[in-house]
Amino acid sequence: MRLSNEFFEKNAIFLLVGTLLTVAIGGIIEIVPLFTIETTVEHVQGMRPYSPLESRGRDIYVREGCYLCHSQQVRALRDEVERYGHYSIAAESMYDHPFQWGSKRIGPDLARVGGKYSSDWQYAHLKNPQELVPESLMPHYAFLADTPLETFDIADRLKAQREVGVPYTDEDIANAAADLRAQADPSADSSKLLARYPKAVVVPGNREPTEMDALVAYLQMLGTLVNFADTNTERLQQ
Amino acid sequence: MAEASVAGAVRPIVYNDAIVKKFIIAAMFWAIVAFLVGVYIATELTWPSFNLGLSFLNFGRLRPVHTSAAIFAFGGSALIGTSFYVVQRTCRASLFGGKALADFVFWGYQFFIVMAALSYVMGYSQSKEYAEPEWHIDLWLTIVWVAYLLVFLGTILKREEPHIYVANWFYLAFIVTVAMLHIVNNLAVPVSLTTAKSYSVYAGVQDALVQWWYGHNAVGFFLTAGFLGMMYYFIPKAANRPVYSYRLSVVHFWTLIFLYIWAGPHHLHWTALPDWTQTLGMAFSIMLWMPSWGGMINGIMTLSGAWDKLRTDPGLRFSVTAVGFYGMSTFEGPVMSVRQVNALSHYTDWTIGHVHSGALGWVAFIVFGAVYYLVPVLWQRKALYSTRLASWHYWIATMGIVLYIVSMWVAGITEGLMWRAYDQYGFLQYSFVESVVAIHPYFVVRLLGGLFFLIGALIMVYNLIQTIISPTTEAPRESAGYPIGAVPAAGE
Amino acid sequence: METEMGDWIIGVMMAVFGLIGLFLFGRAADGEMAVFGASLAAFSLIFVFGLIKQNYDRQDVARAQAKDSSHG
Repeated sequence: MRLSNEFFEKNAIFLLVGTLLTVAIGGIIEIVPLFTIETTVEHVQGMRPYSPLESRGRDIYVREGCYLCHSQQVRALRDEVERYGHYSIAAESMYDHPFQWGSKRIGPDLARVGGKYSSDWQYAHLKNPQELVPESLMPHYAFLADTPLETFDIADRLKAQREVGVPYTDEDIANAAADLRAQADPSADSSKLLARYPKAVVVPGNREPTEMDALVAYLQMLGTLVNFADTNTERLQQ
Repeated sequence: MAEASVAGAVRPIVYNDAIVKKFIIAAMFWAIVAFLVGVYIATELTWPSFNLGLSFLNFGRLRPVHTSAAIFAFGGSALIGTSFYVVQRTCRASLFGGKALADFVFWGYQFFIVMAALSYVMGYSQSKEYAEPEWHIDLWLTIVWVAYLLVFLGTILKREEPHIYVANWFYLAFIVTVAMLHIVNNLAVPVSLTTAKSYSVYAGVQDALVQWWYGHNAVGFFLTAGFLGMMYYFIPKAANRPVYSYRLSVVHFWTLIFLYIWAGPHHLHWTALPDWTQTLGMAFSIMLWMPSWGGMINGIMTLSGAWDKLRTDPGLRFSVTAVGFYGMSTFEGPVMSVRQVNALSHYTDWTIGHVHSGALGWVAFIVFGAVYYLVPVLWQRKALYSTRLASWHYWIATMGIVLYIVSMWVAGITEGLMWRAYDQYGFLQYSFVESVVAIHPYFVVRLLGGLFFLIGALIMVYNLIQTIISPTTEAPRESAGYPIGAVPAAGE
Repeated sequence: METEMGDWIIGVMMAVFGLIGLFLFGRAADGEMAVFGASLAAFSLIFVFGLIKQNYDRQDVARAQAKDSSHG
């Protein structure tokens, strides 16, 4: 049997189809099992969808390109675990549409930054990073504190996330605006918010939240949801 | 072009060169934009006060402007333009779809570029690297890309020459694979049809792999296969030599396009991506070294018997140096794909150095080589306005690349070592910010390297403008072809 | 060049895109959609005008050539 490239070289459609089949193989073999192998996303307790305010904060993190300087993935390496905490597991980003693991550290990893600093620190740092960390390369994000948060479409945003698989309930969506305001206002009653979104952090804003309020609410819960004392390496095997 | 007036005579093919000219001009314009924005964001990383506290100028919003301008605006315009030039001549056929479809591809693509850049600066991004535009812009690009495929494939189908030339295999693979990658990676649900915000259908670890299956193959097919197509036409043409080995081109084409796709996981070593996937990615990345070097060998050895041309033809010098840098990057890549190496290199500036050795050394240089060849031909000038200026460009740009890569190697390894350093008591020796301080001097050198590269490109633009506006110094050359076997009419 | 059919197809397609652009601009929920919609509408308008102009230019050239050859 003579294998010859002539078959493809003399027929553009065969060349096109042959190419397409060739390039489809690797993707199918590597990607599809990540959806079908059960243990890819570990079964752990504590994971929940983002609260409305946290979700808006995440949207701001995404659009401002924070992932360009900050990773959100503690690698399974000794020095990294010592510096940042438990290595990141797949379950912790299961509701991140899209993922924010990042690919460059111009600033430190943020996977477990939740609760590491006070909310006041976070506000001050976002406004003028060099005031708290003089050698920092981070730009100033004071404009976020001056921008009121658009909240008119918060229910639609949760619905869109539900369409891609985030398990928001009808109750979550119905109470989205109220939960958002409650999380930005320390004087409001946050019991319902916390019932729906355990470990949500109320930030020192007011009833008309700013974009910075949302971003801080998001940052302050990062990496806090899963209690690693409750699990072991066997259960985390993929 | 006047039609033949003798009855029964053959009409010459009228190549659509106007569209190629448009794309070349666009490519050089976007080159300056891309390099300028690159220099600016390098300045921001060196002295953060350059962010000016302005939302639309900060690093986070400008970096995608730089990467999109470099890859899609500069690289893409050069690819589409040269592919239209090459496909017409190697098929002896004018572009399928006529002037209107070709113009739609050009203007539609420029529209995509401008809309994408504007959206990033306004604060809209999907946060997927090299796929930052939101859903509405992605949809527009898909439409333009389908039109591009129609023009390119249609022209091949019209061909008079039975064999499809090797450059066209690479261009075609680039077009269809990019379409597959783009569509799959960008699947998203918009919040509403009248808002730009959308949510990716993928999340977490699955999204990580879909993104880097896409991202690595944006490099493999957009920045490699497509430009190999460019190489396979413009090096033999400028050297006036045949391609070194047909058999090598067949083998390396099929193995390259097969192996590249698997390499995505090497961007995710030691993360929450399962070990089996990481190992597959590493193994295939290492194997990928071979077809990559196959391409390098084929490109460089085509100069056999014509090495002296490197002394006299600065455009060819760019092309051949490009292939050399291609070889270097495609060796460095597999090395960095090894998990133990990646444990040190990931998240550091070594990755940035690697990207730029490929982007500046391979991609930009092969474009420069093609453009230095094409401009005199397209505008019917005997030669470039000044080969001396082109030489200056070559040396300044090369120095820029060397400064860039070396500074980033040192910065990257410094960062990696500092992050994992323990003191004699067993504690981490350095805080994160100490590594930031340590690499500052290398950021200054990198800025200088980028500046040199920009200056070289400005010299090139000046040279090209002078070439274009100088009076025509020779009769139309290669502006029309004839179908194979045709006999030109008397007097043609 | 006989590209009349291509001109019609692309022209109609661009007109449809122009209308979509206007719709998006009118119902835009954020700044980006407004900019995109308006730009798409403007782009389509200019492109279609370009197609029309080129068609008339071609007709003029053809008419001038026909006149030359009939007088020659």
